[in-house]
Order: sequence, then C-alpha cells, then structure tokens
Amino acid sequence: MRTWLAVAAVVGVIALAVSGPMPGLGAPAAVKIGVLMPLSGNSGAAGQASKAAIEVGAQIVNEPHAGLSSLPLGEGHGLPKLGGAKIDLIAADHQGNPSLGQSEALRLITQEHVTALIGAYQSSVTFAATTVAERNGVPWMVGDSSSSNITGRGFKWVFRTTPIGPDFAAAYSGFFKDLGAMGHPVKTVAIVNENTEYGTSVGGVIKERLTADRYDVVAQIPYAANGTDVSAQVLQLKEKNPDAVIFVSYTSDSILFMKTFKNLSYKPRVVIGDDSGFSDPSFVTTVGTLAQGAINRSAWSVGKPGSATYVINQLYKAKTGRDLDDTSGRNMQGFLVLADAINRAGSTNPEAIRAALAATNLTAKQLMMGYKGVRFDKTGQNLLAYTYVTQLSGTEWVTVWPKSAAQTKLAWPFQGWQP
Amino acid sequence: MTRPAGAGPASRDALAHAVGLRRSGWRWTILAAAALAAPLLLQGAFYHRVLALVVLAAISASAWNILGGYAGQISFGHAMFFGAGAYMPAFVYTHWHAAPALGLPLGVALSLAIAAVVGVPTFRLQGHYFSMATIAVAELIRILVSNWPLLGAAVGLQGPATARTVWDLTFRGSVTYYYLFLAVLAVLLGVTAWMERSRMGYYLRAIRAGERAARSLGVPARRYKLHALMLSAAFTAVAGSLYVVMIGFIDPDSGLGILISVEMVIVTALGGAGTLFGPLLGAAILIPLQQTANALFGGGGTGFTYIFYGGVIVLLCRFEPGGLLAIWHDRVAPAFRRRSASAVRHAA
Amino acid sequence: MITAVQVLVGGLLLGAVYALFSSGLTLIWGMMNVVNFAHGDFVMAGMYLAFLAVVWLHAGPALFTLIAAALLFLFGVGVYYALIRRVMRGPIFAQLLSTFGLALLLRYTAFWIFSANFVTLPTTALTGTLRVGPIFVGAAQLVAGGVALLLTAGMHRLLTGTALGSQILAVAEDRQAAMLMGIRPDRMQALAWGLAAAAAGVAGALIATFYYISPTVGESLAIIAFVVVAFGGFGSVPGAMVAGILVGLIEATSAFYIGPVYKDVVVYALFVAILWVRPQGLMGERV
Repeated sequence: MRTWLAVAAVVGVIALAVSGPMPGLGAPAAVKIGVLMPLSGNSGAAGQASKAAIEVGAQIVNEPHAGLSSLPLGEGHGLPKLGGAKIDLIAADHQGNPSLGQSEALRLITQEHVTALIGAYQSSVTFAATTVAERNGVPWMVGDSSSSNITGRGFKWVFRTTPIGPDFAAAYSGFFKDLGAMGHPVKTVAIVNENTEYGTSVGGVIKERLTADRYDVVAQIPYAANGTDVSAQVLQLKEKNPDAVIFVSYTSDSILFMKTFKNLSYKPRVVIGDDSGFSDPSFVTTVGTLAQGAINRSAWSVGKPGSATYVINQLYKAKTGRDLDDTSGRNMQGFLVLADAINRAGSTNPEAIRAALAATNLTAKQLMMGYKGVRFDKTGQNLLAYTYVTQLSGTEWVTVWPKSAAQTKLAWPFQGWQP
Repeated sequence: MTRPAGAGPASRDALAHAVGLRRSGWRWTILAAAALAAPLLLQGAFYHRVLALVVLAAISASAWNILGGYAGQISFGHAMFFGAGAYMPAFVYTHWHAAPALGLPLGVALSLAIAAVVGVPTFRLQGHYFSMATIAVAELIRILVSNWPLLGAAVGLQGPATARTVWDLTFRGSVTYYYLFLAVLAVLLGVTAWMERSRMGYYLRAIRAGERAARSLGVPARRYKLHALMLSAAFTAVAGSLYVVMIGFIDPDSGLGILISVEMVIVTALGGAGTLFGPLLGAAILIPLQQTANALFGGGGTGFTYIFYGGVIVLLCRFEPGGLLAIWHDRVAPAFRRRSASAVRHAA
Repeated sequence: MITAVQVLVGGLLLGAVYALFSSGLTLIWGMMNVVNFAHGDFVMAGMYLAFLAVVWLHAGPALFTLIAAALLFLFGVGVYYALIRRVMRGPIFAQLLSTFGLALLLRYTAFWIFSANFVTLPTTALTGTLRVGPIFVGAAQLVAGGVALLLTAGMHRLLTGTALGSQILAVAEDRQAAMLMGIRPDRMQALAWGLAAAAAGVAGALIATFYYISPTVGESLAIIAFVVVAFGGFGSVPGAMVAGILVGLIEATSAFYIGPVYKDVVVYALFVAILWVRPQGLMGERV
C-alpha cells in the first residue's frame, strides 16, 4: 500500500538530480557573477530595474562604447588582466524571502560556480544570504541594501559601496542648514517611515541625527507598508504642521501619500522622500504631476550630453525605455567596482579578489555615481559613500545640493500640483 | 464520511490498520533507507539544502495535519506557532548569549501557552469562521512583534554566524540539518501514527465528519480539539526552531507571515490531508518544484515561476481534486484500490 | 473637532471601499461555501481592464466600469465551468488549493503582461476634491462609496426579492432539493460566480480611479476583505456592507488616535472578540 511513497521518494530524488539548470555554454573564459534580486513579489519592479542596470554595467565592460573611458574598464574590452575575459551574469530571484535568498546564493555558488555575487535589495535577504557567501568564501558586493547590520558582523567577504543611514541623515542635516542660509529656515521636522527594517532603521537614524543637530523632530510616524489608506498619517502631519516632512517609504505608499496630499489639500514647505519609493520610475509617471518640487536623495545624476553618465543613461534607456534611477544606479556602481576588483586581482581566485576589493581606491572621477570615491574600511563599508539632494522638476530629478554639484537653483517651496 | 464513530467499525479499522502496517513493513524499510541514503545519492550542497528544506516542510505540514487534516479544523494561523518556535532560539542567543538549542523547549512551551489561550475563543467557531479567526490572531501577533523592540521589531533577530558549541546547532553544510530534521520527522510520524489508532484519532475523525453528531454521541469535542491543537502547535514550534537554526535569521515576515501558514495548508492539501503520508508526499513534490521552478525561470524576471507553479496546482485540482494521493489510489495503483478505499474515505 | 470629523469622513469612505471590495466575495463564500483566494486578483484584473479601456478607448468612468464588469462576468462564468464545478465535488482542500493556484496564475500573468511597474489611471473626470466647509472629500472615493451602496442594495434585492435570487439561494441551501424543483444548479452557481466576478470588476475599476495599479495590489486588499466578510457573516450582503464601513471607521480612527501601525491590531482584536460573542458574524445566520 505504501510502495508509492518509496517510489515517490526515488522519483523525487531523480527529479532533483536531473533538474539542475544546464551549465552556461558561453565562452569558457567568461567570469560568472551572480545577481540576486527580488524579481517577483512586491519589490519586483525595483529588483528588475536593478537587474537591468547591472546588465548595462556588464555591457559597458564587455563591449566598447564611446565616451566611457573615464571609468575603469570603460574601454569595453572585457577584463584585460584576465585576457579580455567577458563577464557573464547569472540572475536569480529571491522573491524577498530570506530562506530562498540563501538557497539561491548557495545554488549560484555551488552549481553555477559564480566568482562573486551582487545583491540583494531587501536588507533582510542580504543579511541572511551573505552568510552563505561568507561560509563558502565567495566575495559579495552589496550595491544598495542600507541596513547598518550588514557590515560590522566581522565578515571577511562582504563589501558595500552604497551610502547608509548615517550618510543620508548627514545629507538632510546639511541641506537644512544651507536652506537656513538661503533664507528658508527649517526648524520643525516630521519623519514618516514604513515599519519594516528599511524604514525603521533609516527613520531612526535620521531622527537621531536631526535631534543632535538641534532640529525639532515634532513627530515620527511609523506605518505598515502596502497599506490601503494613508489619510491618518497625512492628518497627523496636518495637525503638527512641521516645516519639513521626510518620508522613508516604498513605492506604493509614496504614490498614495502624494494622492492623499492633494485630496486633503496639504502642502508642507519641504517634502523629502528618502530615495526608495520616490526614486522608483513609477513614482514620476504616476504622481509626478502632484509632487512638483519634492526633494529626494540621490547619488545619481544624468549629467550633460557627452558625459559618461549621460552615455550610461542612454544605454539604460535603450534597454528599458526609462531613465536610470538612483537605486538601480547604486547597484550598477557596485557591479562596476566589483568588476574592477576582479580585473585587478588578475584571476578568479576568491582570495585574490577579496584582497583586490579591500585595496580598492577609486576617486570620484572614476565613478558613475556621485560618491566621493570608493575605499573600504575594515568592515567592508565604503568610507567615501555620499549622496546628493535632488528635486523633482517636471519629470526629471535635478541635483540642487550641495552647491558644488547643483544643476539648478532650488525651487521653493514644495508646489505639489497645479491648482 | 457519515459513519458513526462507534466501537465496532473503529476496532475493525484498527485491526485492518495493524495488519496493513505489518504487511507494509518492508515498504517502511525502503522508505527509511531511501531517506537515509538520499544525501549520499544526491551530491552537492544545493541539493542537500533542498533535501533539508523538504523534510522541514514535511515536519510543519505534518504538524498542521494533526489539527487541519485529522480534526478538520482548517487553521490559517499556524504561523503564530511556527513563529513562537522560531523566535525563541534567536531570542535566547541575542539576549542571554545562550545556546539556540535551549530556545527549542522554550519555543514549544510558549507555543503551547498560545494554543491554550487561542483555543478557547476560536473553538467556539465553525468552519470558515474558525479559519478567519486564526488568520486574525496570527496577523495580530505579527503586527505586535513587528513593533516590539525586545524581539527585534521589524529588523528581526539573528542566530550565531559560527558555532561556539554543538548546542548552537549552527552547521556549515545542510547534511547535518537534514539528518536532524529527519529524526524529528520520524518522532512526529510515530506520534501521529499512534494518535491515528488511539481513541483520540477516532474522536478527531468523528469531529471532522460532523461535530454536532460527534458530540451527541458523547465525544468531548472541545477537549479533543484542544488536544489536537496543542499537539499540532508543539510540533509546529519545533519546525520553527529548526528553521531558525538553519537560516540563522528571523524577522516578522519570515517567521510570522501569512504565507508560512498558507504553505502548510498547501503542502498538506496537495499530498492528501488527514493521512500520515500525504504531507510527506506534498513536501517531496512541492518544495523541489518551487526551488527548481525558481532556479529555472526566476532569473528571467517575468514571474513565470508562479505562472508555472499556479498552473500546476490548478490543473491538479481540476483533474484530481483529491490530491496526489488520490491520483495514486485512482490511477496508478488500482491493484491496491480495495484495501486502501478506507484511506481515501478518510481523505474526503 | 474639524480634524475628528475629517477622520470620520475618511473612515466612512474607506469603509465604503472595503464594502465594495468585499461584496463579490461574500456572495460566493456564503452561497457556495467556496473560499475564493483569487478574489483580490479578480479586483486587480478589473483595475487593469479599466486601465486598458482608458488607454485604448479613452473610455470615461461609466464606460470603463461597465467594460470591466462585463468582461469579468464572462471570466467568472468561465472559471466556474472550467474549474470550480469540478473542484466543488472534491474535498474542501481542493477548493482552497485551486483558488490559491488561480490567484497565483492571475497575479503573475498580469506581472508578465504589464511588468511589475506601478501605473495609475490617466486623469479622468473623477480626480477632483470636493470641499464641504473645512472638510475634504475625494470625488472618486465618494462615487465608489455611492456605487458600493447601490451594488449592495441591488445584490440584496436580487437575492431576496426576485425569482432568480430565490433559485440561487435554493441551490445554496440544498442542491438536491433544488434540482428536484426543476432548477439547474450549475446555471445558478455559474451565475453567482459571474455576478461575484462582475462585482469585483466594478470594485477594481472604481478603486483604480484613486488608487495605484500593480500586479500584487489584490494581495494587500484581500486579507481585510476576508475579515470584512467573516465579520459581517458569510453570505450576508448587507452584513458585508455594515462590516466594511465599521472596519473602515475603526481603521481610520485608530490609525489617527493610536497610530497607523496599530490600526489592524484594533480591527483584528475586535473581530475575534465579536466572533467570540457572535460566532456567526454580525449579520450571518446561526450555523
């Protein structure tokens, strides 16, 4: 009666054995890099945009393009120190699930034999999946997860190029200070953050920093992400009436906030979106007309025609039909730093790559993002990570702070929608 | 199944069962041997991990099956027990630097306490009302934990990155986990098989067939439902503890999210609810299906993983509503049909 | 004081949306004892249909709502004949499993066709804000609330005041007996599925006028709809309306006065408490 179970077990085992994906048939010299992103589920849009950006990054390394020679490997001849080897990307979907993130990282390492990994958007997945890389001794580049816990666990194999919470908070504080100097004093601030790891930790760090810098944080309003209604948060803001509001929100909520602002006719003088939701290209296409003058942090700026960033944006646009956004850009930058380190290592030996990553010393001119450079500390965090402040004007985010990088003058105050 | 839970048919069933068990002893042996040998036959760290995850899913689904399958009380809130088990090892490690293994009994105790408290109001409810109430309680707990700094709030808690002693249950490869999980599964199956043939098993099946009728025949329904819930909750908590020592990280979504509960239901339903082996079969098919579908199609980013996964489930239900077990009974093993007819009736 | 009124008005409108969203669910859940996990994804389909109708046909709100309702009616009937009719003969687990599979199938087919990106309806006639003294009322929400009332009343009238409704109820009550009375149960149940899906289509089209559209949007609305339907009592159309508005009011007030993260805690706690007292929901019949 129970033979079936034995048979099922055998069939299952066989199915597992034959089900492994076919090994890539590319050039034997290609260096494989695993890209681990949420390609489905609630963060699917952001994950797919980041994957596309990393693919453009690989295109930049593998094929020559005019105007990119300022970047390391920008000549487009593959990895010269590895005999011109091309980079082969292998993407995997973790669906925002930490356990699946570990499974996929393990599969990429042991089945696909990737040389290094990049990912994974949600901090929770990055946190869990990097332990797999650490145990297997494979370098992992964190392009954009900002949880401070990711580095600082004593891991040898995890490096992170992106700015993190304290960097963002420093940018907002500096921005407010300069606003005061321009005759637009900001005294009271409210922080509205979604209550998963991202919003909680970034919201907390911003509050700490602004309080230390003597701004009056009149409210911190946490809320559950992907909610059906945000009127209560907006009404609370209306009641507290702060000079500036900072949102740490994912896309769906950012869209609802702007719609609700209009519905309840609420216009604070400064509206800041902490990247994420505001940087999602969908934000501008859906509620751009309601959010004119909104402020965002971003280390990405398209730049003037002919510049390397302009060329990169053209490449990305040709691939996806959209402009590059900050989140995807930070992933592309992480990838380019990783590729440069593999090239300098001169081999796919993990220890050599790790040493090369640790010795990374790139200046601002060699980067496509607006970091001050890339140099890792002992924990693997980029010491020179930095972010600009941008403002929505029409359908473009333009850099307005710091003065040295500003493309246009700040429009004051937040206009929102056309009456 | 409208058969009254009288003593006559019951003892006849038990007799048939005992005979069946003895006769199928060699099949047990083959199954156990296959399970023990699987990691040797399937080399590779990724396969070992998938094997371990299959056994883990089989544990939580079998635990769910005690209440959902045998007693017919369909809970969509078992994540609360899974979470209780998953949070305790990380909690004792984070706050007391104690070995995560210590968290397992604490998690089971916590889970039993939750079951006792939750059972009182929810067991008044029938059918879908019970299901919805369990969702509500589980979501309530998830939201409270997401905002409770002691439990890491939204950020979650972590286990040790490298083992200090063996009691940290932190192993490099998945094979150790696989055998550990297998041992737990064997205990769980033993307990379930014993329960199946004890008075409790018959009472639960009578409750599933019709609670009012069972009660009028003198079955203390509320008490036995509570016993089933507690047994189910305890093993679900064990599954949670095993999950966290393997993954090394827990947050509200991965420990208490509604998808955790849904997966237990799906795995059990796919294999065949209310049977000893249904959850095992469901886990053995579904987990490799999930992992390979994701490995094959996930990287494309078109959502094809889920189209495939959803499509397989829909087709299965369309053509064989009784679950995989029914396919076996109806199509693959007609020779066994006569003897296994009673098992199919149980599944219905 | 003004703020309190604004909070209550917001709660009422939100509640009307919940009622609108839940009306189709209660019909098939209560009438046929089938838990439709795909209900949220039916609503999502309604949203995308409305979106396509606006983009391709430049349809106005009335037209795109009708289009979404009509197409989803056909889809609901199709799903019944292709899947549900068969599945209902199996154990309850097959029903759970099949609608769960259907949900995944719908959600990720949309993901495949429309990509994961968020969209909103292009500006239509319904984007304005009405101002009553110091109180703001979104025109789109107001219309959705009004339609929710009409839909609920219409469905209730159909079920309790027409021969067709009696036939649907008869099949729900006792399939065998209904057959002996000369009613064709398959037709009635297919009709119930069609109506439920059409109601989901109307809900989707109207919610799309003030909400965002994405393949996973149904998920975030679905759990609350399940709670609303159980709260009101399975199969009770007016119950879903009352419970929807109640949940909306509780959410809005607790989000404002206690904090947005705790609003669902209040809803769920109250839900469990009410079921403790009334195990059949607010307006359901005793089981």
